[in-house]
Amino acid sequence: MTKVFTVIRKEYLERVRSKSFVIGTLLGPALMSMFIVLPMLLAGTGGDDQRTIGVIDPSGLYFDQVVSVLQDQGRTSLDLEQIAVGAGGPDAAVEELKQGILDESIHSGILIDPDFMNNAEVTFYNKSVSSMVVRDEMLRPALNRVLREGRFAVADVPDSLFNYLAARTSWTSISVTAEGGEQEQDEAVSFAMAFILIMIIYIMVIMYGAHTLTAVIEEKSSRMVEVLLASISPDQLMLGKVLGIGLAGLTQFAIWAGTFLLLSQRGVSVGEFSLDVAFLTPTILISFVMFFLLGFFLYATMYAGVGALCNTPQDAQQFQTPLAMGMVIPMMLLTLVLRAPDSTLATVLSLVPMFSPVLMFMRVCVETPPFWQIGLSWVLMLVSILLAAKGAGKLFRMGILMYGESPTWVTLLKVLRD
Amino acid sequence: MTSTTLELPARGEPILTLRAVTKSYGTKQAARDVNLSIPRGSVYGFLGPNGAGKTTTIRSIMKILLPDSGEIRLAGQLLDGSMRDRIGYLPEERGLYRKMKCVDQLAYLAELKGVPRGEAIRRADHWLERMELADYRDRKVDALSKGMQQKIQFAATFIAKPDLVILDEVFSGLDPLNIELLREMILEEKAKGTTVIFSTHMLAEAEKICDAICLIEGGEVILDGTMAEVRARFPMQSVRVAWEGGGEPPAGLSGVTRREFIEGTWHLTLDEGVDPRSLLPELMAAGPLTLFSANRPSLNEIFLAAVAERRREVSA
Repeated sequence: MTKVFTVIRKEYLERVRSKSFVIGTLLGPALMSMFIVLPMLLAGTGGDDQRTIGVIDPSGLYFDQVVSVLQDQGRTSLDLEQIAVGAGGPDAAVEELKQGILDESIHSGILIDPDFMNNAEVTFYNKSVSSMVVRDEMLRPALNRVLREGRFAVADVPDSLFNYLAARTSWTSISVTAEGGEQEQDEAVSFAMAFILIMIIYIMVIMYGAHTLTAVIEEKSSRMVEVLLASISPDQLMLGKVLGIGLAGLTQFAIWAGTFLLLSQRGVSVGEFSLDVAFLTPTILISFVMFFLLGFFLYATMYAGVGALCNTPQDAQQFQTPLAMGMVIPMMLLTLVLRAPDSTLATVLSLVPMFSPVLMFMRVCVETPPFWQIGLSWVLMLVSILLAAKGAGKLFRMGILMYGESPTWVTLLKVLRD
Repeated sequence: MTSTTLELPARGEPILTLRAVTKSYGTKQAARDVNLSIPRGSVYGFLGPNGAGKTTTIRSIMKILLPDSGEIRLAGQLLDGSMRDRIGYLPEERGLYRKMKCVDQLAYLAELKGVPRGEAIRRADHWLERMELADYRDRKVDALSKGMQQKIQFAATFIAKPDLVILDEVFSGLDPLNIELLREMILEEKAKGTTVIFSTHMLAEAEKICDAICLIEGGEVILDGTMAEVRARFPMQSVRVAWEGGGEPPAGLSGVTRREFIEGTWHLTLDEGVDPRSLLPELMAAGPLTLFSANRPSLNEIFLAAVAERRREVSA
């Protein structure tokens, strides 16, 4: 065992002391937030461009109401501009509006029918499909309210009755946890947190998994492997390498997690999205660590085995992509599982060892599947790791004799079958 | 893993024995029924042309390859993984970690042979001193010349004070000064009781340093024993001869089995029992002689004779 520790120590220190580790530790969160937070920010701010909406109100009754309702609803991004109906009548005003839309001085516009209170008709003028958001999410609710309030007024309904009738349902979401507790929850934040954690697992497994591949190839291309195997068995060497690199990955992650916890205690928020530590229940935390570790070791061993067959990084490329697919495919299946986390399909897919780190963990985040399923996925992953380690040791022993020739899938399978 | 305690045999008694070791790759037999016995404290030559099966045999000893059949014993015990710590190995395919400091490199390799870390660093410093590389202690391997790198590798082989050392083509690519340095060190280590297996296809080098040898060809041991035994098996003589202004030995010289022109001199191998002086009259008749010497045959000549003898046996 001392020898394994010697290898772990060397691999660990070599990585932690390298420039790329320092740079990666600093840049990692920046990159990750670019992938995660940026789309959210963009999605949130996309509709917030200041837009001018032309309003033709031949009756002159509604413009002020629409403005005040929009203000009340917080739609500050819309500037309403009344287009006066002059001697030319509404038709001339519509022409003016169309011209404004075409030369882009106006984003889009509405014509409120003079008999709006009775026929509720509004015409929407626009140039691009994207103005649908403005129409459906901003203008329609506002005009609905103007109509409703106007009709209540016409019917002479007293304020008290009006308030009573206009009431909206009030919602609180409680997520029921297996620990028997209950807690208030904000779905958007929970989902974002789950997604961040899954991205962390995904990036770390792919990145550090690939490190073992390069480390093993380095051993071969530096021709060290024969000297090393004169002192240590292939299994020990493999174990030491995978553990050493894994520890370096964990160190990096611990630095990130520590920083994250520090920041979240000060209540950092990005746009409307604030980091919520309450989301991290014990089940989720333990699952995260387990899926992170098991996922890493599963992929690292497979990568190491493939590396043992290759002499150059070029040789490795043909094996690298299919392996990475094991992580990419579940990312694509994520929405499928999210929609029905307890369906048979989702259950089966999330038990596939190569998919478990992403899919089973996603299920844990969104609805906590039965514990036996979580446990089973851990057992299956553990068994796969042992099998992969066995295969990798074999490939390693064979691989040292394969200088010169480029390996193929055929040789790989042949060696494993022997 | 604890390394097994080995009762080393007395000097001259076999420390390593191979019995009927066979290894094939596919249909090709790389080692065929190899039987060897290597005396403790000797420099033992593993000789033969490239591809003869030397490296396969060595890799089997190092447990890097598993032989198909046969047994290997170190100091009388069946070889197992833990005994690797007692054997130092310098493979022909040499490597170092390019980005690692020289001292760390040596210490790491010593640690992998079970030397505790503090002691490993002390020994690394000692060997850097001995190799005249102390100035490069904290430099990366990348900064070293190829010759210096080879010296580091040589040091790494001995750093764990092994009982048996296997050197595969140790002198290849070295300048004469460094060859001399390493040769002295091999002899120093031998004097301390270390057994050295010296594998090479350069027979002339082996001749200068080995106490005993085996000749391997086509995966088979065709000759082995101490130098004296080997010479006794091939008691033929060899004659070196040269003429002023060139010239060559007349055709049909009786008793000459082989003739070869090496660096301006003709080497004639004689049949057993042929007196070298009996050739003199005919050689003198061919022109004015500048050199005539009767020698023991070189290892090269013995090797060729042994191969010829073996082929006769096989075809018979």
